[in-house]
Amino acid sequence: MAGPDERALQAELARPAFRLGQIDGRWTLHGVTWPYVYVGVVARDGVECVLRLNCAGYPATAPTGGPWDMKRNAVLDPACWPRSRGGRVAAVFNPGWKNGTALYLPCDRESLVGHDNWRVEMPSKIWRPEDGIVQYLELVHELLNCSDYSTPARAAA
Amino acid sequence: MISVFYQTEGHRDIGHLEIEPGATVAQLKELVVKAANAEGELVLFAEDADEPLAADVLVKDVAGAHGLKVHAHRCKEIAVAVTFNRKVARRTFKPGTTVAKVKKWAAVKEFGMTPDEAGEHLLQIVGTHDRPAPNTHLGTLVAHPHCQIGFDLVPDERVNGASEA
Repeated sequence: MAGPDERALQAELARPAFRLGQIDGRWTLHGVTWPYVYVGVVARDGVECVLRLNCAGYPATAPTGGPWDMKRNAVLDPACWPRSRGGRVAAVFNPGWKNGTALYLPCDRESLVGHDNWRVEMPSKIWRPEDGIVQYLELVHELLNCSDYSTPARAAA
Repeated sequence: MISVFYQTEGHRDIGHLEIEPGATVAQLKELVVKAANAEGELVLFAEDADEPLAADVLVKDVAGAHGLKVHAHRCKEIAVAVTFNRKVARRTFKPGTTVAKVKKWAAVKEFGMTPDEAGEHLLQIVGTHDRPAPNTHLGTLVAHPHCQIGFDLVPDERVNGASEA
């Protein structure tokens, strides 16, 4: 039987806020293999960036994850990561950070560790359990649709 | 059946219901009021529309391919003030107006930003750290009879300090 965190995530994926993101074409659910959920977020050029998010402890504990290659079942090749024009996308999509397993975002469980200053400097990006996974996806979607985003050097396999 | 996503006065949660295509807007309003447990004389708006939905219109005639997004609120208009660089832009919007539309108006039309520059800024509710998501309806942020809200237009700060670890 699924634990409370898995059931909470499944309930979240059925909520209108998550479904509306799918209908609006902002993201696509690729599946759940507990404790991971795979969601593709669509960038301004139509390229989809699939994230593998570890949701253990959801929603009290924030998810953590990064770009994922669904075919190879591995961290996405850095050549396929979203690129930056020198602005804020590069800081968040950094393949060198945690070996590519976490986005450098205040709402990411692993990245928040050691960054207590973020709670003061960017409180709006700290994980909010009541908003759930949609908060994480909204932040990523905004980044992939801002003017700093640039198409990956190579398309994912 | 037609899929309807609704937002209501003072509540940030998005609701969902399904309704027969031949139902009227008046019938849809009844369902939204019941589902949201709302009180008072509410007006129903389509998202980002400039006028309320007429009661006798059929839902199928106002829904798109993916359904309909509506807002129910007692305020017929919401007075908005956006501050940027000590200048204040003011106008009224319908409660079903998205935060994205308000930001575009303030950043591009009132403060002269390019669309790319506007994309690097967000609306933050005055006196808070609350930056509502772009698809949030204004009406979710206020409750009758206080049909007004103030925002600061703030830069979307870069997450600095990424290192290889």
